[in-house]
Amino acid sequence: MEDLLKKCDSQIDEIFARCLENAPNFGVRAECFKASLKKTATKYVVSDNSQPITEEELRAFFEQVQAEDLFMALACANGNERAWWEFDQQHRSYLERVARHLAKTEVDAQEVIDSVYVELYGTRVVDGERVSKFSTYSGRGSLRGWLRTVIWHSLVDLHRAGHDEVSLDEMTENIGEGAAHATFLHPAKGGEEEMVDQIARDRYRTATLQAIGTAFSTLDDHEKLILLYYHVENMKLREIARLVENEGSPLRGWFQRKTQTREKDPGSRIHESTVMRWLEKSYAKVLQLFRQELQGKHGLGEEEIAICFSIATEDLSGPNLYRHLSAT
Amino acid sequence: MLTRGYVYSREDGTKMANVENLNPEEIKIQGLLGRYLNAMTTAEQAINTGVNHLDEDTLSAFIEASLSEREARPIVRHLVDCTFCRHMTSELVRLDLAFADTVEVRVPIQEQEPAKISQVLNGILTRIFGTRDGAVFAHHEEDEGEEKKEDETSDSEKN
Repeated sequence: MEDLLKKCDSQIDEIFARCLENAPNFGVRAECFKASLKKTATKYVVSDNSQPITEEELRAFFEQVQAEDLFMALACANGNERAWWEFDQQHRSYLERVARHLAKTEVDAQEVIDSVYVELYGTRVVDGERVSKFSTYSGRGSLRGWLRTVIWHSLVDLHRAGHDEVSLDEMTENIGEGAAHATFLHPAKGGEEEMVDQIARDRYRTATLQAIGTAFSTLDDHEKLILLYYHVENMKLREIARLVENEGSPLRGWFQRKTQTREKDPGSRIHESTVMRWLEKSYAKVLQLFRQELQGKHGLGEEEIAICFSIATEDLSGPNLYRHLSAT
Repeated sequence: MLTRGYVYSREDGTKMANVENLNPEEIKIQGLLGRYLNAMTTAEQAINTGVNHLDEDTLSAFIEASLSEREARPIVRHLVDCTFCRHMTSELVRLDLAFADTVEVRVPIQEQEPAKISQVLNGILTRIFGTRDGAVFAHHEEDEGEEKKEDETSDSEKN
């Protein structure tokens, strides 16, 4: 693999020259930049042994890296003053807007910005070297996208610090959009459920639960993720569409290939209706697998399958069906 | 008996969207699946505490769709299993959407003498540590080095 990386040396040199031309005062050394790019490649593509990468793919990968953002991040990590100054000029107002949008109070927002700056600079020293948060940025995504995520994480940490035992649910209820969207299911309060279940109904319940579990587990990871986003994270179709609207989105590519439908304009927007169609296809698939499972594994006939549907429907108004979940 | 057009609510009380094209059984499976996934997630949350989470770099690259399918595959797999990271990605998408209409203004860099790192950060550190001593504590070694370097630079520039 080292050989493959070496073959891209001249390309990396060219990328470095472009960055250096744009920011000659950043003081980033060629070998430092080269090492960082190789680290990025190793993290995202080279370490995947299941499918060896070709030289062409690696070259395409390097072209996609946000080289100028990485160049600035490296310079800041090294403590270059000019880079820090430019970073502050370019990104501080954005950081402030994001923090204010997410935090509940101005004080929290300011505290987060402060702690992010401190983290970015790095106050921890390991083996005589200051550890800057910037050194974890790889250039695979944009610097702003990365900063946004760092702020979100920082707010979560800030909230955690103020609450000893805090669940993800409680935590996100207090941060940004989560205040309106955090909706993890709380476990049913015990003791109040009906205790008497008929043996036959229990059999159908168990079969229903196992069948839906098997049907879901048979789906591809991409389908599972979209369903989880929709049902568990309560993402709106518009929000899921946002995740896949980028032409290069791996989720989008996967669904297009699976449905064997190529859009007339591959660069066009993904609308909510498209996401809904993906979901509909997944439901149809789950239904088919659910029926197969009930018929094949549990030996149920049409009438019994209808009972399973009826039990599932009844129990949708209460948690009874799912109280056995951990046992399955 | 459910009829066409019946809409199940999601766990947050919002209606599931557009079920016009689903038949009654598919509508039932939609509701059943929704409840199943939520119950599964609750069960997983309790045992999922020791897993390694995705770092910020990977999360942001995924949200921006910068990754190829090959790169995204292990991440999608992780997001299916990891409640915490999946929830983070959903929140980050919402955040991304909230700023989608904001015109990104790249501030033109003014050609003026850049501030020293200490000047940029000192105010922040002073606020955090409460005194300027804290800032000095955090920057002491670096500042000395920086000052020397700067002196050398300005000398060479003069020359």
